[in-house]
Amino acid sequence: MKVQSSRFGELKIEESKVIEMPDGMVGFEERRFIILSPEDGGNFCWLQSIDNPDLAFVVVEPATFIADYGVKLTREEYDKLQLEKGEEIILLAVTTMAPDPMEISVNLQGPIVINPAKMRGKQIVLEDGKYKTRHPLFQAIREGARQMKDGQIRRKGVAMTKVSAAYHNLGCATPCP
Amino acid sequence: MLVLTRKVGEVIAIGDNIKIKVVDVKGAQVRLGLEAPPDLRIYREEIYVKIQKENMLAAKWDMDDLKKLVNFFDKSDKEPRH
Repeated sequence: MKVQSSRFGELKIEESKVIEMPDGMVGFEERRFIILSPEDGGNFCWLQSIDNPDLAFVVVEPATFIADYGVKLTREEYDKLQLEKGEEIILLAVTTMAPDPMEISVNLQGPIVINPAKMRGKQIVLEDGKYKTRHPLFQAIREGARQMKDGQIRRKGVAMTKVSAAYHNLGCATPCP
Repeated sequence: MLVLTRKVGEVIAIGDNIKIKVVDVKGAQVRLGLEAPPDLRIYREEIYVKIQKENMLAAKWDMDDLKKLVNFFDKSDKEPRH
């Protein structure tokens, strides 16, 4: 199927890569998304609406830099995701851009949970606790690297690659490292 | 909307498993105690609104932002650590 996106142009996507979000993203009506995972995008992917070319979010797996990041799901959320106990999930955090990279933040309080087996997703709202909506990304990476056993942040998970729709690269003007 | 009047210490039950108790009233603030199955997502509405606003903000980005971010992330990843 063809998907129009204002940032990336026309994309050819396998229908099996479409993620159904019955409640959408908080504050948005769109219900169907794809994850695009560029090779040169580092740990970042984006969640593109297939019904609204303008709507896309930059997302990252918090687990790649926060060793113990986790969310306890409720029965209702299990049902929404058509998820069984013990099944694998993908957790994503939305990244909020800023002109100053030091001010780029990740929303750890509103993670997106995806059930890769059923390709269903939901954004979860967490009450105030250790996770904030504006967690500074740079700080998270630094702290995260310290916590990881080998001092290295993780790369995108395998499950993530499986749910992603193929996408060549960002086409960086300067070669991406 | 169902509107009920309660005094401090009084409870409202919603179904068999949810109880909301008025713990304290101080001026314009009410402290509520909630008893509900641990399997229920409970949050103050403003958290939902906060996440909604953050989503709105996050949806405004362009490719240059992303390229900058990827470069930045990669650099900070490669920085020597002490």
